[in-house]
Amino acid sequence: MQNMKKTIFGTMLFSCLLFTSCDVFELDNYEEPKETIIGEVVDSKTGERILTDQGSEGIRVRMTELSWGDNVEHNPDFYCKSDGSFQNTKIFKGTYNIRIDGPFVPIVREDERGVPIANDTKTLDIEGTINVKFEVQPFLKVEFVDYPTVSNGQIAARVKVTRGISNDEFREKIEPMGNYNSSFTNVTDIQLFVSYSSSVGYRARDERWSNKIEYVGSEFENLLGKEITIKSIKGQTIPSGKHVFVRAAARINYDTPAGSGTRRWNYSEPMEVIIP
Amino acid sequence: MKKILAYIALAFISVSCVDLSIPPKNIVTSEDLLSNESGIDIYMARMYSNMPFEDFKYLAQWGFNFNGWLNSFGIEGTGEALDRDGICTTFTNEDTPYWSMAFTLIRDANFLIENLPAYKGSYPEPMYNHYLGEAYYVRATVFYAMARRFGGVPLVTNVINYPANQDDLEVPRSSEKDTWDQVAADYDKAIELMLPSSPKSGYSNKYVALAFKSEAMLYAGSVAKYNETVTGRLTGTGQKTGVRVIGFAPNEWQEASKKYFTEAYKAAKEVINSNLYSLYKKKWKANDPEAQYQNMIDMFSDISSPENIYVKQYTYPTLTHGFDAYNSPFIFRTPLSSGMCPTLDFLEQFDGFNHYADGTLKVTTGATNTQGDYILYDSPMDLFKNAEPRLRAYVIFPGDQFKGKEIEIRAGVYTGSTPIKPFFNDYSYASADNTYQKLDSYSKKPKTLYLSPREGSSQERVEADGFSMNAAGENGPFYDNGESCLTGLYLRKWLNPDPAAEIGEGKSDQPFILMRYGEVLLNMAEAAVELSLAGETSIDGSNLLDEATEAVNEIRERAGAKLLTNTLSSTNVGRDVVRKERRKELAFEQKTKWDLRRWRVQHYEGRNGLWGEEKNKDMYSNNTRYRFRGLYPFFSTKANKYFFDAHYQWISLKTFEYTIVDYYFAIPGNEVSKSKVIDQQPNR
Repeated sequence: MQNMKKTIFGTMLFSCLLFTSCDVFELDNYEEPKETIIGEVVDSKTGERILTDQGSEGIRVRMTELSWGDNVEHNPDFYCKSDGSFQNTKIFKGTYNIRIDGPFVPIVREDERGVPIANDTKTLDIEGTINVKFEVQPFLKVEFVDYPTVSNGQIAARVKVTRGISNDEFREKIEPMGNYNSSFTNVTDIQLFVSYSSSVGYRARDERWSNKIEYVGSEFENLLGKEITIKSIKGQTIPSGKHVFVRAAARINYDTPAGSGTRRWNYSEPMEVIIP
Repeated sequence: MKKILAYIALAFISVSCVDLSIPPKNIVTSEDLLSNESGIDIYMARMYSNMPFEDFKYLAQWGFNFNGWLNSFGIEGTGEALDRDGICTTFTNEDTPYWSMAFTLIRDANFLIENLPAYKGSYPEPMYNHYLGEAYYVRATVFYAMARRFGGVPLVTNVINYPANQDDLEVPRSSEKDTWDQVAADYDKAIELMLPSSPKSGYSNKYVALAFKSEAMLYAGSVAKYNETVTGRLTGTGQKTGVRVIGFAPNEWQEASKKYFTEAYKAAKEVINSNLYSLYKKKWKANDPEAQYQNMIDMFSDISSPENIYVKQYTYPTLTHGFDAYNSPFIFRTPLSSGMCPTLDFLEQFDGFNHYADGTLKVTTGATNTQGDYILYDSPMDLFKNAEPRLRAYVIFPGDQFKGKEIEIRAGVYTGSTPIKPFFNDYSYASADNTYQKLDSYSKKPKTLYLSPREGSSQERVEADGFSMNAAGENGPFYDNGESCLTGLYLRKWLNPDPAAEIGEGKSDQPFILMRYGEVLLNMAEAAVELSLAGETSIDGSNLLDEATEAVNEIRERAGAKLLTNTLSSTNVGRDVVRKERRKELAFEQKTKWDLRRWRVQHYEGRNGLWGEEKNKDMYSNNTRYRFRGLYPFFSTKANKYFFDAHYQWISLKTFEYTIVDYYFAIPGNEVSKSKVIDQQPNR
């Protein structure tokens, strides 16, 4: 009996070895991804960061490694932090093309037939830590005029929206891409995002309180630069004593990248509000 | 030793020097398969078992796996039904993309088209043509299934031999327009070649191809037209090829859309004019809701129904599915239940209910559901007593009969005084999380509301006013059990109504109707209104709007719904009458998710049209997200009566999300990265 057990054990051990390839004993000698890219997206006029939300509705960073040859798939996309900066510390050494898409004039512009008009993407050799700065023309600038007020658990914020790029400049850049429509520059909505999280934005919004005002056609035109009051949802009381964070956002009737249907918001700085 | 030598010697003796040139008997050749009828049967059976049919073996979230596990449908954010699991999500991709397996089937079809002519002499000419027609029909079906997922796809229309040059093996995606043109051409070829009736059960025929052609062309026409309504126009060219792989060029969409609608209209008309099919009305009687209801239950299992154009049949015990095992009411749970719970929003489309001014179901005496007192009913069924018979055939109401049992659905028991004020002062999207168990009347003293977390011994008992009863009904809803009734309503359509029928995985064998005459009528009506909107008055001599009106009324009469008294108008309102009728009639048939997709009404900006008619999206949306409601029956011990509360999905609340990029599925990443010519969607 004892012998038999030994035999079975021996056979099993042997068969294990039989099915093992020699690669198992070799260390993976491919160098780990340890290069770093640190980037920011700023307004080309003012140098201020383009504020956004971290998620697929925010500023998308698309890196494509070019040393693989012609037919390359881009790396998995990632997104800017809400302050308009981005960082990736796990990149393989290599040559990359970096493209960003967000609530600003597209940095890659092509006409209807795919003929390039402009391409402000960056192609870089990434080794060690690389800093990169994109200067773009944001569609809008959104700010809180003053500190939001709270009454009966409802937040009221005064918001000001101005254009980051004039309609004429916008037209000059976008029209050559084909199918231009003057409605592109219309401001369609203002959002007030409310959340317990300091990374408040579209993704982290609390649906109970976040609110919006929508505008039809070009009716917002007269409100540009003026103070607009937007309140959290009526009847949804934010519990007293809590700290919440708010941000305002606005967008125009133009999707980036073209054809994606994703109209991205320009954001204000977040603010912490204490509910009395 | 001598023995061994002898064996070796023997071995040498048996070696021959003649080459073996006889085909091995264990390999099936083209000759075996294509030269005789039984061989063709095998060839067809193989193709048909791989067809992209969305029936009891298809789950939208998973794609074509050809197994029936957890089969539920209408749960893809269409608003028809809800389910507790992650499979209850919008139709934005399929886990198994319909790509590589599609090309395997296309190859089978192409092989038949190229090789059958060599055996032409083996068959009478009509049969030979029919077989060839089947191959075109299969190819059309596959290209259609791909086109509505991806837009333009590689149009492989011949057998590609391997090995070959890389250039011959690689076929780039064609434009979306060319893809739809190919779908139309393949259907046309099938229609021309196939027999007017199927030579054998399971085979297709000319009218099957015509009916599906009308469905496909309606899709194509809608895409061409409604891509234009989407922010930024939904179209783009591939990065590698420059081909317009999704959408239509600005100068061609109008013409293309009109052409496809015309094709859809003509194909449907040919089916209608053949007089071979009619709506199922075996038990139907005028002015008899009970008969009309029973008629619409029977039509889904009666295999001899004159309405059936194309049916996937099942036979116990060899070819079965598990639809009843996943979607029956909780009391029949084996091993699961409640996979498709219809929503209140779905119910609100139907005739026979009272509504508030905003169109929602009236449950209180006031002007909205936060005002007035709850309306009291002796039995829950009283609310539904005038319900459209079609709805009752599709949905089990609380207290209605199914499989010889009363289906008890009760959210809870209220022991407070009457009249009863609405539980909440806010039923909006934002407060969907405010559920009954958070009410003070439930958690604080004096306790007046009783609810149950689970079934059996977890039921809360109510002892009040002479009543001694469980808080929740036998089927729930139980607030901690997603297998109980989620919405207060249950599905009836497709479920086997026979009390003797055993429920279990692999025990069901009801047929699935893939195409029925009712849909053909609706295809015709929709194409007719669209053509009328495009400026046409007639295609074949008859007035388009009159025909559309007549078709809608035919459907409505059989359903026991109110008839249209005026001819449909050539406006979006007129079009929406047809769309809404389609949503109602074809609910829970795996069709609606495609209709919402081609109408482009699922993303936020277009969502007012989600229900086929204009309905304010902000009533159930928050930007890209949206939710649906249930209808929850409560019992009042003081009044000894029932009342209903309309609330967002109480159990396993689902939030759906849809954006514009989802109208075209992503091409599988590995296919894009390994090929020099296959383009990803330009908007991804």
